[in-house]
Amino acid sequence: MKKIGWIMLAAFMFTTWMTPGYAAKTSPYRIGVNLELTGPWAEVTKTLKNAMMLEVERINKAGGIQGRPLELIFEDNGFEVGRAAANMTKFTRDKEILLVVGPFEDNLQATTRAIAEREKITNIIICPSNPMVRDLKQQWAFNIAQSDIIVSQKLVDLVLARKYKKVMVFHGAWPLAQSLAEYFKQFGEEKGIKVIVSPETHKPTDIDMTPQLTKIKPVLEKEKVDAFYACTGGPPGPMITKNLRALGIKTPVLGTHAFGFGFIIALGGEAMEGVEFPSAKPVVFDQLDENDPAKPININFDKRWRERYGTPSDQIAGYGYDTIGLIEDALKRIKGKVTRSSFREAFENTKGFKGTHGIYQFSSTGHDGLSKKDMVFVRIEGGKFKRIQFPGFD
Amino acid sequence: MEAFISSTLFFLTNDPDEETIQLKTMELFAPLPQLFTSGITFGAIYALVGLGFVTIAKASQMINFAQGEFVMLGGMLTFFLFKEIQLPYLLSAFLTIPLVMLIGCLLHLLVIYPLRKASLPILLMATLGASLFLSSASALLFGTLPKALPPFINRPPIDIGPISISLQSLWVVGATCLVLLFLYLLSHRTLLGKAMEASSTDPLGADLSGISRHLMIFIAFGVSAGMGSLAGIFITPIFYVSYHSGTLIGLKGFIAAILGGWGKHSGAILGGFVLGVVESLSVAFMPSGYKDAIAFVVLLLILYLKPKGILGSPFIDSRRW
Repeated sequence: MKKIGWIMLAAFMFTTWMTPGYAAKTSPYRIGVNLELTGPWAEVTKTLKNAMMLEVERINKAGGIQGRPLELIFEDNGFEVGRAAANMTKFTRDKEILLVVGPFEDNLQATTRAIAEREKITNIIICPSNPMVRDLKQQWAFNIAQSDIIVSQKLVDLVLARKYKKVMVFHGAWPLAQSLAEYFKQFGEEKGIKVIVSPETHKPTDIDMTPQLTKIKPVLEKEKVDAFYACTGGPPGPMITKNLRALGIKTPVLGTHAFGFGFIIALGGEAMEGVEFPSAKPVVFDQLDENDPAKPININFDKRWRERYGTPSDQIAGYGYDTIGLIEDALKRIKGKVTRSSFREAFENTKGFKGTHGIYQFSSTGHDGLSKKDMVFVRIEGGKFKRIQFPGFD
Repeated sequence: MEAFISSTLFFLTNDPDEETIQLKTMELFAPLPQLFTSGITFGAIYALVGLGFVTIAKASQMINFAQGEFVMLGGMLTFFLFKEIQLPYLLSAFLTIPLVMLIGCLLHLLVIYPLRKASLPILLMATLGASLFLSSASALLFGTLPKALPPFINRPPIDIGPISISLQSLWVVGATCLVLLFLYLLSHRTLLGKAMEASSTDPLGADLSGISRHLMIFIAFGVSAGMGSLAGIFITPIFYVSYHSGTLIGLKGFIAAILGGWGKHSGAILGGFVLGVVESLSVAFMPSGYKDAIAFVVLLLILYLKPKGILGSPFIDSRRW
């Protein structure tokens, strides 16, 4: 019996010595991920989760960061503010957790941001910042995706390039859509575009916009509006376009960056033809300029994504890639002890990180990483996204 | 709810300066014909869902809160058969109806029948649970992203003066009429329909005359599931279907059935159209954020004046009021 015990001990020592964990000699960097893994956005967040896991695997296979691997700890918040806050608190109380990624959706993030600020932990938010919290100048929250400001700026460029003089805005009744509409009005009027914001709005649960659009229709005709801006996200976008066309309104439709998903075209069908919107680069990565640094990154990532999951990658997968890439980049730059505060400082000093969405720059005053240059114009043609270019507007 | 409040607040705080549109009295009435038309489409949908509620109520006085899920499953299964298995559109639609009917019958066998000795509120809770189960199962099996079907006949909308009508809306109205005709014939011309009604209006009498009440409820579940799936197949090309879209549409159908007179086929139809038209027309006079609330306000107002619904209900005892 004694012999077997010795053999077991030897075997145990041998195996532990062989595992990478022992080779790294240190514990992993733990990252809390707080996502809507169930609920209406389950499919989208699953893509994000898969992308993050793919990237962490790549980093760990290459030996981790200075010998320490990354570890993702996922918690599902079920698209509920209460659970998102509970997850966030749980992560912050765990001293092993270095930072928290998520939540994904706009309406959950104000809460987690407040917790991050109080507990002093970095919180990386995927979707654009909630405009109501922008004025708070929070130090611990960072945004990955294109903000409402740059989307509005890019859309104003599109309107100018198309030489539209009058634009009608039909926006959703939630903070992000409202702020997109307000910024579009502000930037548009600076450039001499007449922006009419419709007093009629819609909710994310509206499955039919015909009543609102019927009310807007006489105004569209009377004011001779050049373009109709469907300032929304998710299923309402294609429904607005579909209902507009069913009412016989031929006005060109402009959309937001949230139109850049395959399911949006599928929902709207033929009505989506000709819709133009400012878009993230991964949506049309194969059509980017040759000298665009985002192009090879996207092609390479898409190849790895296809090998692993068998589907084409999309902009959400791109956010996952960029998030892990930014974390890796920040960790590599930390000299000395890696703590929550030294990580925040390093992340804030990210300069020129090249990701699938473009080039990220953070500073003490700017926690939105991307800029207007990281967006392109896209038109829906033949059921596909097609990049359109205008001289002087890129 | 949050979205609703912020929408109304936004409207109230949005001062009518020169940029916002001032609708004059003339312009206020201009969209009414179009709003009426769109209200009719919605009315037909609510009526179709309401009829499903009534069919079960007529057999057992029960409220089946999983009715909306039959609508969702109708759209979802058609999408699955058409897009994933790639059957022809028509065949997938025709296959979906018996499939959903089967689910309806299973719902009765697995949930309602074992609870046959329980009281009505417990059955109500059981159907609510079944509704949650069906929508979550659909999210797991078919995914959470919304799905749309192509229109039956791909043609531009018909323009009649200031109104444009999409062909799919005509299909929905046609389907409602057809289902109503079918139900009329079932309950007035066949022994089965009469037996179903008898088991609800006079359970003891039905038992004495040898009618198996459980069999009648079983059949009622199948029929109402079939009608729900039909509604789902017809409306998915106009809107879209997602795993949680059954809840609201089920609730609206239930309101329609109560509004017209609980337990009457004609009541559900009338209630559906009244609800759809009022909801749609309300947009002309009020911000659209109030649209969903209007349905409930109308329900309350009508029930204050006529507690048994517009056409009266055979089930609600007036003495209680």
